[in-house]
Amino acid sequence: MNAALTTSIIGVLIAGAILYLVRRDHLHGSYALWWLAVAAASLLLSAFPQAVDWLGHITGIYYPPILPIIVAIGMILLRMLKMDIDRSRSERQLRRLTQKIGILEQELMEAKRAKASDNVLTADSSARSKTAQVIPLAKSGDA
Amino acid sequence: MRQQGGSTHRLLTVIPARNESATVGEIVRRVRSVVGGEVLVVNDASTDDTSAQARQAGATVIDLPYGLGAWGAAQTGLRYAKRHRFRAALTLDADGQHHPEELPVLLDGWRRSGANVAIGTFPQRLSLAKRVAWRYFQLLTGIGVQDFTSGLRVYDGHAIRALASRKASLLDYQDLGVLMLLRKKGLRLHEVPTVMSPRRNGGSRVFSSWPMVARYMLHTTVLCFAQFGWRWRAPVRAGARA
Repeated sequence: MNAALTTSIIGVLIAGAILYLVRRDHLHGSYALWWLAVAAASLLLSAFPQAVDWLGHITGIYYPPILPIIVAIGMILLRMLKMDIDRSRSERQLRRLTQKIGILEQELMEAKRAKASDNVLTADSSARSKTAQVIPLAKSGDA
Repeated sequence: MRQQGGSTHRLLTVIPARNESATVGEIVRRVRSVVGGEVLVVNDASTDDTSAQARQAGATVIDLPYGLGAWGAAQTGLRYAKRHRFRAALTLDADGQHHPEELPVLLDGWRRSGANVAIGTFPQRLSLAKRVAWRYFQLLTGIGVQDFTSGLRVYDGHAIRALASRKASLLDYQDLGVLMLLRKKGLRLHEVPTVMSPRRNGGSRVFSSWPMVARYMLHTTVLCFAQFGWRWRAPVRAGARA
C-alpha cells in the first residue's frame, strides 16, 4: 500500500460520509452547501495528491504537505466562529421567545379569569332578577 | 390590578424573583401600599411557591418556563411595560435588600432630576472588592455611576423602549451592559442615594467567590471592549426615537 492510495481512501471515505449525511437532509441549507464543498475538496485532493505539491510550489511553501493542514485549520476556525455567531443569534431568539411566552401566558390567564368572572356576574344578576320577583327584600350588593 | 393606574402616571413595578417565597409576598404588599399601581413579579423559574405567594399578595405574575437570570427576568417586565404602554417602570429585588419605603425617595429624585433613568444606590454597602471593580469600570467606560449593579431603578418610556429591544436581550447582567446601551441611546442616568439592607438570603450572586468575580470582570471587560468607541460618540437627543 502506498501513500497515494491511503490518502485517496481517506478522502473518499470523508466525502462519502459527508454526502451520506447531507443526503439524509439533517442539515439546513447553507450548512449543506459548506459540507458539500468540503466533500468535493476532499475528493479532489485524494484524486490528485500532486496538486498539493504544485500549490505548495506556487505559494512558496517549503514543505508542501503542511499547506492543506494550514488551510484546513483556518477553515475550521472560521467555521467555529460562524457557529458561535449562529448560536448567539439562536440564544437571543430563544430568550425573547421565552419572555414572550411568559407574557402571553399571563395575558391568557387574565383573559380567562375576566371571562369567568363575567359569566359569574351575568349568571348572578339574572338569578337575582328572578328571585327579586318572589322576595322583594333580597340582599343586594354582594355580587 | 391595573385599575389604579390612571393615564397620568402609569407606573409598573417589576420585581424579578427566583426562589424568594420567604420575602416576595411581603415586598409586593409593601410596594402596593407605598407606591400603588400595578406590581409585576417575574418568576424566573422558581422551584418554590414564589409565584403563588406573589399572586396572593396581589401582584400580576409572569412565570418564565426556564431561568433567564436576573436581567432576563427584568427585561421580561420591561417588555410587558412596553406592551401595555406604561409611562415608567420601577425595578427592585425580591430578597428584601431594597425597602419599598425608599421608593418615593427614588421616584422623587428621578422626577426632580429630569433624567431618563434613576438608580437607587447605597454607597456604604460596597465592599473594597466592589469599589475597586467599579473604579476600574468607571475608567474603562467613562460612566460615572457609583454602584453599577443596583437593581433598584426607575426607567422612563424611552429607557423602557431601549431596553425592551432585541439589542438588550443578549446581556447577561443588568449592570454595565444595560448602562452602556442606555448611554448609547443618549439617555441620562441619575443616582439617588437610598437606604438598603444587606441581603437576607446569602450574599451577592456575582460577588460570591473569587472565580465568579474573575469571570464577571472578564465578561464585563469584553463587553466594554465590544462597545468601545461609544463614549466619544455625540449623544443623541433624549427625545429621539431609538
